[in-house]
Amino acid sequence: MNHNPQSSDGKHDDDSTLSDFLGSLMDYTPTIPDELVEHYLAKSGFQCPDVRLIRLVAVATQKFVAEVASDALQHCKARQAAVVKDKRDKQQKDKRLILTMDDLSKSLREYGVNVKHQEYFADSPSTGMDPASRDE
Amino acid sequence: MNDGSLENRKEHEKSQKQSKSSKFRRKSDDFALAIRKVAVAQVCESVGFQSFQHSALETLSDIIVRYIYSIGKTASLNANLAGRAEANVFDVIQGLEELGSGLGFAGSSDVDRCVANSGIVRDIVHYVGHVDDIPFAYDVPRFPVVKEWKGMGSFWEKGEEPLGEHIPSWLPAFPDPETYATRSSAGNEMMSVSNGEKTELARVERKVEQSLLNLQQRFAHNGNEGGSSRDGGDNGRARKASLSNPYLAAPLLFGEKEVEVSPVLLPAKLLNEVALRNHVPENCVVGNHVSLLETFAPAIEAIKSGLCNSDNEQKKVLYNQRPLVHFKIGIGKKSLGMAPDFNSSKKDPGKIASWFGNDNEKDDQKRRAEKILKESRESSQERAQL
Repeated sequence: MNHNPQSSDGKHDDDSTLSDFLGSLMDYTPTIPDELVEHYLAKSGFQCPDVRLIRLVAVATQKFVAEVASDALQHCKARQAAVVKDKRDKQQKDKRLILTMDDLSKSLREYGVNVKHQEYFADSPSTGMDPASRDE
Repeated sequence: MNDGSLENRKEHEKSQKQSKSSKFRRKSDDFALAIRKVAVAQVCESVGFQSFQHSALETLSDIIVRYIYSIGKTASLNANLAGRAEANVFDVIQGLEELGSGLGFAGSSDVDRCVANSGIVRDIVHYVGHVDDIPFAYDVPRFPVVKEWKGMGSFWEKGEEPLGEHIPSWLPAFPDPETYATRSSAGNEMMSVSNGEKTELARVERKVEQSLLNLQQRFAHNGNEGGSSRDGGDNGRARKASLSNPYLAAPLLFGEKEVEVSPVLLPAKLLNEVALRNHVPENCVVGNHVSLLETFAPAIEAIKSGLCNSDNEQKKVLYNQRPLVHFKIGIGKKSLGMAPDFNSSKKDPGKIASWFGNDNEKDDQKRRAEKILKESRESSQERAQL
């Protein structure tokens, strides 16, 4: 789809697409409530009386969360597939798809958000280490 | 998938979080915090998750707030760059493109792409078309709620005249004089008097103050004598004694003109007031007090109500029912050794009488009184200029 920005037809199409979309936004109720989005947008200095724009931001945010969550879900499922102890355990785990920090940090890394947790806390560098073993 | 259990868990988490947050931290956006967690949980549930870790949910909700922040900032920045105060759809789409440029979107490499035809928009349209419409679980009111601030009325609103030309009328009015302490400069927290008594007190104090000045002038003229045995002075003092009644009489007897109160006590009261303003002549006050009291010793015994704190340290008179409060104003020099003795309780007129019947100390007192009178003469000249 190569639209020539100079052609009025193309422009007209784009504009109509956009305005149609914005109109359709009013029918769709985003899961993230408008008031919440409006509150945070106001905090950041965004000033607009048009509610369609707020809906647009809400939908964009919802899409973002959905993408991150689906990535985390894939990580979670991949981990469950890797753990093959016995069928009973796996079935139990299948019923419990839990959003963990681990999966979340992995999926957020792709979006440029670094959420890394300390793996463990030790009071000295040699805690839990055999004197003969080397640390990795 | 067990939707019912997830809903319950969400609400349970939400209530837990709310109680925890109210106990440990009081942020202004507690409400928004709770709401966005519910929203994120709903979206995750639609994706396919059945439960979450608390920390994961909080992290994700924090991240979407930052996401919204950055969209808003970028959009307002673009609008300002274009010379507008309000953002429009193109500013928002450009902001979304900047945010999505990390992952890339269709058409991002096109140099002359149109914002309206942006890949981002297409992605969103695609998403809207595909995903189910899941409204938010709760009914969210408009927030933050702006409380109506009912400030103090201005001069203009209250219809009062501002005191002085330098005060514009749109400024808030001064509080009523009755609401703060009596007109003495030192804060009188101990005086929790009712408003009516206070205004009368103020009036009486003013009269007493004038009479005090006259009295001090007379003392100055008297020289070494205590200045107590002059008829003119007596008359004046009797008049003033009647004015100073409220300080000596019981509160219920306020306003009555009682002449039985000894005029001797008047100088004590007046001298106390002087002591308020000038800390230096406190000693001379005591001296005068002593000499006068000696002369009027028999009259003192006729006093029904006790001597009101005839103490150079006391600032104001206490009513009978009020507890005795002692103030300690630092006095540089104490030429009178018996200054502390004047801490008297109100209900001990007998005790006071016993002091003045003490003839052993009279000579010493007289000598000290002369010294102090000299000082008072000097200080009264200062006061006369007041």
